[in-house]
Amino acid sequence: MAHAVHHTPVADKIELPPERSDLGLIRPDRTTGLLDWLTTVDHKKIGILYGAFAMFFFLLGGVEALAIRTQLAQPNNDFITARMYNQMFTMHGTTMIFLGVMPLSAAFFNFLVPLQIGARDVAFPRLNAFSLWTFVFGAFVLNASWLFEFGHLAGWFKDFSWYQRLTYTDFAPANGWFSYAPLSGTFGQADSAMQAQRFTGVGTDFWIIGIQILGIASLAASFNFIVTIFNMRAPGMTMMRLPAFTWMTLVTAFLIILAFPAITVALIQLMFDRQFGANFFNPTNGGQPILWQHLFWIFGHPEVYILVLPAMGIISEIIPTFSRKSLFGYPIIVFSGAVIGFLGFAVWSHHMFTTGLGPIPTAAFSLLTMAIAVPTGVKIFNWIGTIWGGTVRFTPPMVLALGFIWMFMCGGFSGIMHSAAPADAQQQDTYFVVAHFHYVLLGGVLLGLMAGLYFWFPKIFGRMPSAPIAYTASGLVIFGFNMAFGPMHYLGLAGQPRRTHTYQAGYGWEEWNYIATIGAFILGIGVFLAFANLVWTAFRGKVCAADPWDGRTLEWALPSPVPVYNFAQTPVIATRDAWFEHKHGKARIGAVADGGPEGVHMPSQSWMPLLASAGFLIAGISLPMMAMGIPYAGWGVIAGLAIVFLGIWLWALEGPGGYQLKTPAPAVTPVPTPVAATR
Amino acid sequence: MPFLVRYLTPCLLVLAAIFTAGCTKAEWMVRQSTMDPKGPVAQVQFDVFMATVWLSLVLFVLVGGALVYAVIRYRQRPGQRDLPPPETGHGNPLIEVGLIMASIASLVVIAIPTLEAIWYLDDVPAERQPDSKLSAWYKGSYSADVAEEVLTIDVIGKQWWFRFEYPQLGLTQQSKRTVPNEMVIPRGKVVRINLRSEDVIHSFWIPKIAGKVDLIPGRRNHMWIQADETGHYYGQCAEFCGDSHAYMLFRCVVVEPEVFDKWVESQKAPAPEPAPDSLAAKGKVLFAQKTCIMCHRVAGHYESSAGFGPDLARVASRSTLAGAWMDHRDPVIQGAIDAKGNTEVSAPIDPALQRRNFHDWIGSSGILVNAEGKPLIPKDIKPGNRMHYYRMFNVAGLRETKTTLTQDELDALVEYMMTLK
Repeated sequence: MAHAVHHTPVADKIELPPERSDLGLIRPDRTTGLLDWLTTVDHKKIGILYGAFAMFFFLLGGVEALAIRTQLAQPNNDFITARMYNQMFTMHGTTMIFLGVMPLSAAFFNFLVPLQIGARDVAFPRLNAFSLWTFVFGAFVLNASWLFEFGHLAGWFKDFSWYQRLTYTDFAPANGWFSYAPLSGTFGQADSAMQAQRFTGVGTDFWIIGIQILGIASLAASFNFIVTIFNMRAPGMTMMRLPAFTWMTLVTAFLIILAFPAITVALIQLMFDRQFGANFFNPTNGGQPILWQHLFWIFGHPEVYILVLPAMGIISEIIPTFSRKSLFGYPIIVFSGAVIGFLGFAVWSHHMFTTGLGPIPTAAFSLLTMAIAVPTGVKIFNWIGTIWGGTVRFTPPMVLALGFIWMFMCGGFSGIMHSAAPADAQQQDTYFVVAHFHYVLLGGVLLGLMAGLYFWFPKIFGRMPSAPIAYTASGLVIFGFNMAFGPMHYLGLAGQPRRTHTYQAGYGWEEWNYIATIGAFILGIGVFLAFANLVWTAFRGKVCAADPWDGRTLEWALPSPVPVYNFAQTPVIATRDAWFEHKHGKARIGAVADGGPEGVHMPSQSWMPLLASAGFLIAGISLPMMAMGIPYAGWGVIAGLAIVFLGIWLWALEGPGGYQLKTPAPAVTPVPTPVAATR
Repeated sequence: MPFLVRYLTPCLLVLAAIFTAGCTKAEWMVRQSTMDPKGPVAQVQFDVFMATVWLSLVLFVLVGGALVYAVIRYRQRPGQRDLPPPETGHGNPLIEVGLIMASIASLVVIAIPTLEAIWYLDDVPAERQPDSKLSAWYKGSYSADVAEEVLTIDVIGKQWWFRFEYPQLGLTQQSKRTVPNEMVIPRGKVVRINLRSEDVIHSFWIPKIAGKVDLIPGRRNHMWIQADETGHYYGQCAEFCGDSHAYMLFRCVVVEPEVFDKWVESQKAPAPEPAPDSLAAKGKVLFAQKTCIMCHRVAGHYESSAGFGPDLARVASRSTLAGAWMDHRDPVIQGAIDAKGNTEVSAPIDPALQRRNFHDWIGSSGILVNAEGKPLIPKDIKPGNRMHYYRMFNVAGLRETKTTLTQDELDALVEYMMTLK
């Protein structure tokens, strides 16, 4: 077939004259080794880095989860202390959401979106690298708090005068991922040093600045993807021909740019409360702790959809592929995704049903929360409609995708249960809620992302993960997950509250907690096995064909691994599921030779995104150190911010750069379809 | 398909076995069960919950059934791989709009009881007021202007214990009589509860009597409760409130209205005086010497305390200590009562256990020292609590002091505590 021929290894690469700015900056040009990975602007490599870091932090969050479960296995256990437990569940939630699931979704955005829309890269390649490194350094800042905590526990700081002066000696955050004020803020009158009484130490400062930095990364990435999806689509790739995953990426990106400003404002206010004696959330001086909850949840609830919509997009690609049918009701799936996005901003107060909102807001948010079940249900109906009448192949990604639908449906039903505010008054802050959101975020999102990894891994690395290991891992994950979180429904209804590091015997919670802990370990083994399988595959797996699944979207038209320029010629699209139609239907993918005689223009690598992000790392670690009272740490904050601005300034000065590549010429001219020909 | 049978069936069977294994009646009636309502508030909340459960079950069977059917019916059979792809459509508007309408209709089914319950639970309903007014049942003394009100209790949350005040009945911080950790209410009467916090956010929750409402500093929340059966009910703070959140428990004791009158009078009375020259009398002196009185009040003995800590006048009459974390009741007898899912009765206090609890609680976190000044109980029973960690708080004068007790001093203090009934 025509498509197989027009991708052969790069024939020729014409360097443009070395790019020199006024300052004589030379942009790096290394395509292998560490230097390449640090300076790359290639969306595929950035996607792989996102995925690698996300998987690492996912395992770290998993270890924290296992520590939590071990502590709870028996009543009155002292495996870890109360404070360490509180730090564990805080960092578990924060890590899984901001360092695990969001970057893993970003890995898919990065790798797939340009390929699915027929583009050579994202709109702003250097900004993309900046997003990646800012995420990585934000994650380092958050986890640096553990180093200080362990240093404190090991007694490293005993001889320092700043340490002896400290009143609060918790160094890792211990507020929960929601960090409710005033527990995270201040209380009472501030003294002359603007220090008001508080309830937590510098762990909270690490958390505040870490989340703030991660927010910058997410915002930059989201603007990039919105611009990319709107502007870089191949000819004929209309909005209603976009693959469902790209659509969900677009909705997610909009959710991020609308939701993150709320948390940014709240975090700045909290930081000002703690560092500079402001009173936004200080009840003694007329501040409103409830304001924090509103600001947090108007970010926090859309955040749930930020986590789940990409997984829904992945499922919407996998189900049609392995049913060999196009997505049932594509417009409704897209539209329901957008409706979920809109309604996601109108339900935040269902996290606050017990805060005494009064009957009218409680009723309004109750009804809106029930309403959001409709577009979510529609997606499930349409996935079943896609399977209906197809021929279903039970490949590892399909098994995980079916697991996703099943677990997500269970999580959805328990969601309906506490959309009813009176029932929620009993369930709020119990293990019932823990069960609910783990069914949605672990049974749902993790299975979805694992399905995506198994689905696209052959495309990313050109190697096929071992199917028996994949089935075993999926089985362990699904079984262990249900064993861990199924009993929590009961535990919640039996009155076990969340975020308690232990419980007394005699409350009837002992057996089920023990079973849940066993399940958690089975789940942990399953996830580790799956990740180990994938990492091994990336290096040593069996080489496979470019289109092993009989794929439907454009990325499967490319060789594996995908060459640096992605498409030898820009494809011309005539229909939805363009590649599947090209293979099995009538509509062919056309091509326009867009490179000119020198070949296509490719972006140069750059040090500047890394430099600017490194400034955030320095500022981010210095700020909590300043709060600890370490001498001169405040200068570190200023130096870090200066490096951020220096990096961005040099970035602007180094010029657009780039080089030209001759892509291999097609031996056979692809036959454009009538639609393609008219464009 | 074969792997489905091979992998999933055993998994499902094991799960089903686990889930059905312990489903005895007592499992649904454990101490903090929300599924065993003992009052109208918890009952309404449970009814709404069950409405959502039944709806979810129906939808689960329908949608899950369709999914299972589709996956089995349309699995790829041998030889189908090489056939051209099946006929494909892009959706069916009639089916989709129909399903959306059906979803909305099914949600209306639960929306109606939800809305009814929201208004019912918001404040004391008019129909429950008449026989709950103080004038209708309370025999003790109260001022005339509150006669037509229902009993009001102020719940004050602190890190990490609850203080209860009965403003209509003269049990308040101003009158130097408060009730820590064990709230007592009359059976069958509506009680209006005002929720206040003096530090961070807490949440007030007695699962068998009412769902939770938060105590938020700077905010005036309220709720109402009514208990229909006498007994000993378990409650707990449900909002994460710092290091020792897990230790912030409380009890709600429901008694007949006549017993309630007597209980109120007993709370107002001064504490009994220990016998002269007894160990307890020595403990009473130590109570002042060792700065306990800075925070703790003992009615009749030490009235001038600021009252940061729990009122101790009746501390030995309560069945728990340290924010209800340490239980003085015989665990074996109580375990037998719990196994029947029975809240009506409570095991008696075991004096030996009570004495040990007092000893361990007061002496923990390094307060009890030997002759060389080495801590004998270095372990924290409640990490971060103000009694042992006052350096963390700007309590005037206590910031840099660290009280320690010798074994003799501690024994005397414990003896004094044991007399406060």
